Amino acid sequence: MGITSSKQLLEMHKECKATFEKYPKKVIVCCGTGCIANGARKIVEAFQAALAERKIKDFSIEAVKETGCHGFCEQGPLVVIEPHGTFYTHVKPKDVEAIVEKSIAGGEVIEPLLYTNPVTGNKVERYQDVSFFTHQHRIALRNLGKIAAHDIRDYIAVGGYQGLAKVLTSMTPDQVIDLIADSGLRGRGGGGFPAGKKWRTCRNVESDVRYVICNGDEGDPGAFMDRSMMEGDPHSVLEGMMIAAFAVGAKNGYIYVREEYPLAVIHLQKAIQDCEKHGLLGDNILGTNFSFRIRINRGAGAFVCGESSALMRSVAGEVGEPRAKYIHSVIKGLWDKPTVLNNVETYANVPIIAMNGPEWFKSIGVKNNSGTKVFSLVGKVRNTGLIEVAMGTTLREIIYDIGGGMLDGRPFKAVQTGGPSGGCLPAPQLDLPVDFDSLTAVGSMMGSGGMIVMDDKTCMVDVARYFLHFLVSESCGKCVPCREGLYQLHELTERVCTGEATEADLEKMEKLSEVVITASLCGLGKSGPNPLMSTIKYFRDEYLTHIREKRCPAAVCKKLITYTVIEEKCTGCMACITACAYNAITGERKKPHFIHQEKCEKCGACVAVCKPDAILVE
Amino acid sequence: MRGRYIVTPHLCTGCRTCELACSFTHAIDGKPGRSRIYPLAAGYKDLYVPVVCFQCEDPACVKSCLVNAITMNDETGAYEISPEKCVRCMACVAACPFGCSLFDKQHNLVIKCDLCGGDPVCAHFCPTKALVFELFDEEELKEVV
Amino acid sequence: MKPVTLTINGKLVRATQGEYLLGVLRREKIDIPALCHHEAVEPYGGCRLCTIEVTKPEWDGWKDYVTSCLYPAADGLIIQTDSPQVIEIRRTILDLYLARCPEAKLVQDLAAKYGVMKTSYQTVPEPNDCILCSICTRICDTMGFKAISTVNRGHGKEVAPPLDQPPDACVGCLACALNCPTNYIKWKDVGGTREIWGKKFELIRCEQTGQPTITREFADYLIANRNINADYFKIKDSAHRTETSLGLGKIAQWTREEVK
Repeated sequence: MGITSSKQLLEMHKECKATFEKYPKKVIVCCGTGCIANGARKIVEAFQAALAERKIKDFSIEAVKETGCHGFCEQGPLVVIEPHGTFYTHVKPKDVEAIVEKSIAGGEVIEPLLYTNPVTGNKVERYQDVSFFTHQHRIALRNLGKIAAHDIRDYIAVGGYQGLAKVLTSMTPDQVIDLIADSGLRGRGGGGFPAGKKWRTCRNVESDVRYVICNGDEGDPGAFMDRSMMEGDPHSVLEGMMIAAFAVGAKNGYIYVREEYPLAVIHLQKAIQDCEKHGLLGDNILGTNFSFRIRINRGAGAFVCGESSALMRSVAGEVGEPRAKYIHSVIKGLWDKPTVLNNVETYANVPIIAMNGPEWFKSIGVKNNSGTKVFSLVGKVRNTGLIEVAMGTTLREIIYDIGGGMLDGRPFKAVQTGGPSGGCLPAPQLDLPVDFDSLTAVGSMMGSGGMIVMDDKTCMVDVARYFLHFLVSESCGKCVPCREGLYQLHELTERVCTGEATEADLEKMEKLSEVVITASLCGLGKSGPNPLMSTIKYFRDEYLTHIREKRCPAAVCKKLITYTVIEEKCTGCMACITACAYNAITGERKKPHFIHQEKCEKCGACVAVCKPDAILVE
Repeated sequence: MRGRYIVTPHLCTGCRTCELACSFTHAIDGKPGRSRIYPLAAGYKDLYVPVVCFQCEDPACVKSCLVNAITMNDETGAYEISPEKCVRCMACVAACPFGCSLFDKQHNLVIKCDLCGGDPVCAHFCPTKALVFELFDEEELKEVV
Repeated sequence: MKPVTLTINGKLVRATQGEYLLGVLRREKIDIPALCHHEAVEPYGGCRLCTIEVTKPEWDGWKDYVTSCLYPAADGLIIQTDSPQVIEIRRTILDLYLARCPEAKLVQDLAAKYGVMKTSYQTVPEPNDCILCSICTRICDTMGFKAISTVNRGHGKEVAPPLDQPPDACVGCLACALNCPTNYIKWKDVGGTREIWGKKFELIRCEQTGQPTITREFADYLIANRNINADYFKIKDSAHRTETSLGLGKIAQWTREEVK
């Protein structure tokens, strides 16, 4: 089964393409982790059952594809009928019969399953017309939602491994490095370091052994970009690694996948096996001198192992603690050998850049920030999910045009970018173009692509406290500024949330943050104070309100808020009394109820059950 | 600077001047260190022999040191213990078959003869020339190095 | 082994390319605190106290703050060891240390040198004298035993044997305890027994004097792995010296008789 030449690959491509396009209609069932959690597998089973029963002209179970994440997770489970693009949302297994009857056998559209534009109220028939998708420019996510994630034939059908073939048969390693450097591809994991420069440095170190590693650790809370790519288009990652390995002269590669991504591991393993079977991994790939093997390493639940030197120690079987990187890991990395470490998304871009050339890539995005970036847009927006936009797209476009605007029409307060290493930006920054440099200039960072939208019911002090808590528990503990400094910053921020802090404490936090940023050993510590510093910078008044007035304007910080019954609105239904686990509410039927503050734990259960909205939280 | 001790035992009176010289030469902050050379009764009447590190060719102390704190000084040929590297585990003290690695409790140092950098002071001070340090001539040096 | 020239606090200094700056600074008799540093093991970069300010002419005034224990010497480096930012870093780190180890004299003394008499932060819930310098674990690793390590991540980090059980790999050499900067590791020699890390060891008794030397386990390890004659460990060093003098005495006596 081995493909021993690029000519053979081209032939296989033609075969696979023919098979891929065999049926005039295709049913795409989104099987990203999100939709699976929502029951996508049952939908696939329903299609299997429905198609076992009846024969449909020009259609069979082969035309039902389990693909990776479309990105519109808010609307899942998703079913798309290609090539028309009929877009069905919130699909249930019981809908499948009708889909088969009406949309596949017939040519009808099932209205109730269509997506409703939240602004206009209109139904939208095709996903190409859904604003969530129209504003996107999908390059890294090009195959997601189009090909079966676990089938190499689909990948080859859409042109997979042509980039590798081109590189192996018509370019030298140095030319490949030039191509990537020329394209301006910068690391998508957060650092934004020019990939070509990294590869060149690695290649220039005298060594008989080099390694290529893919960082699939993706530890930022709320980020699932890499997960979707590893699950939904694993071959694009492998192909990217192969091209990188050829360019730098590595014979072995590792993909480090975080422990919490079992589906990604399964799909990557299948992809590697299929590549080995077809001779795309192993010795003499495509009949050339290039040999390359990839192994998967799993993490074990440590955010710090996303840091490159900690990751390499973890791959080597040691405790995942970072080391000082005055001597970079491109020079001395895994087992002290020159190592290229890049993010999943970076590798996913490489094959298409190899095919289309650097000028094409540079034509997308903005100066010094070519190409696109995948974001996980979450929080208080209408449309949460995975998106990919050209660099330079503004925050406003992302949140309003793609995100559909604020949930429940509440006012925008801030957007957190870059995860625990990033910062919060307020409304005046909404027209900021999203790229590496613009965000860093205002005290945040693009990071790996997490984007959390916050409304007026979000307390910025609480946000800082949340991220500090996360970092304190994820710190490896090796260096004092991070281990002790972040711990003390968290303690101080807690005191602001409980109303025990003073203004002197605020100054103390700022000074301590400076030292933690300067003196920490690795990126976790160095960027740890960012959420705190950026919220103090842009929301200082909110901190001062907590400190001076002992009040939380967003009504979040439990020690500073009270739950009170609005007597005029209370219908006396006793729903809250039943709901309260602390017996803090008393009252009789049809009479206004009363909340006893000393017992109230501010859990919010009463608010959740109160139909007349008679409970005031402030 | 390489050489060797020439010992003439019947000249040794056991006066312990060598011991004193060694102790004072290795003083730290004015406090004398423990001596690395010991003239001991040799089992016969009026017979004493100075016992000092043989700078063995296959030193047990070096083999026993798990942190490689004992290394040879190429100039002098002496094996020296690096006080910064030494972890005070006493492996060399227990392993030396001649008892020439010792613990200076007062200074918390594991010590041995380092030939004073090539010109041992004990030999200088020996009043009877029972202990003499002679540099190798060219021929001998070639053999040794 | 290329020689390079650096500027340290305004003074030109020579060093070897690639050697870590802490050694260079100490050679120049500049006092730099470095709690997690020990020459027997590789530098760690954990305490961050040896942080210095470095820059190069081509960096356009941009300064980097690096730990001198791990930063390699390069030609043209301009180093400041006592700039206000560096002092502030050291002061803050010692202040943070005092919140964790308020009773450790070493930390108290060093902090006092930088003007910190007591911590300005919250003392941690269970303070102790362990400064987590990891010197003990690194020495144990270097010696080849790997009997103890730092366990737990982040703030709960502590030094312990695997699963808090008496470690199989430990030979009772005491290298960990004897090199602990704050004497935090406890051990006991009673009679012919040593106890450390919850494990008991037999101390070898000198066959001549009866005095204890090293543990049986440590000696066995050296005999088995370092090609040292087992007999050497049977008596202590003073007894060896006596034996040596008696042995040499026999030869001396023979020559004396010859001379006669």
